[in-house]
Amino acid sequence: MPKTDERLDLRDAVSLDHPWITIVWDDPVNLMSYVSYVFRSYFGFSAQESERLMLQVHNNGKAVVATGNREAMERHVEAMHGYGLWATLAKADS
Amino acid sequence: MQFMQASENADSVTARFEPVEIGLLRLAASQLIDLLEAAETHRLGTSGDPALRRLLPDAYTDDPEAAAEFRRFTADDLLERKVRNARCLLATLGEEPLADVADEPDDAELNDADTAADDADQPVTIDLDADDVQAWLRTLTDLRLTLAERLEIGSDGVPGRSDDEAPFLHDIYDWFGMVQESLVYAIDV
Repeated sequence: MPKTDERLDLRDAVSLDHPWITIVWDDPVNLMSYVSYVFRSYFGFSAQESERLMLQVHNNGKAVVATGNREAMERHVEAMHGYGLWATLAKADS
Repeated sequence: MQFMQASENADSVTARFEPVEIGLLRLAASQLIDLLEAAETHRLGTSGDPALRRLLPDAYTDDPEAAAEFRRFTADDLLERKVRNARCLLATLGEEPLADVADEPDDAELNDADTAADDADQPVTIDLDADDVQAWLRTLTDLRLTLAERLEIGSDGVPGRSDDEAPFLHDIYDWFGMVQESLVYAIDV
């Protein structure tokens, strides 16, 4: 097996061991209907799941909306900032 | 003002706006573009303008270095897209009316001028395709986030400002929210 493939495998393993999360935070501005719509249209969640996560953001102040490797979470956070949602990423265990 | 699905095309929506509402959207979107274009992306993290800090928040809460790095790779692109969205919204509003023309004494004597003046008071129909809708949703959000910072709206949703201008700004803030909600409901069937 070529060396590059081994490196890719190693990276995947590291990502799985230490997943990252995308967090969306509550803000007093964004409408509940809009936040729910963003979750549905961007992440492709069902209406029920989007509503659940939106209410979690609203009631608990934040919700984890995605888990995965760091690069993917950075892409999600950038997309959320594009929608005007307040999002951050962090290591899952932190 | 109430957005509805355009009957002939499921991806399109339509609504009627009063000329004063069109003027308000035009003014607000133009000011947003000015704000975004004046932003210095490399200094956003320490920007004195809380609106810009909210439009492009830190991606990491506990790692300033990673937050700065993220900003370095994304801020220019995000700002550019926000400007593009606002320009798209402006474009859907149509040509700016030449309000002064009707006031010219020469024109007032012409029948055409009377018609033009009447037209200026009539509601305007705005049709949005799927891409326009996305630009509107995002720009209305950016406008509301900016207005919320200007009104010093706290985490409880209550504005900290109470000067003479505040009620007017708050009315606009609420109205943009109404327009946005109407859009979400219109496309979400």
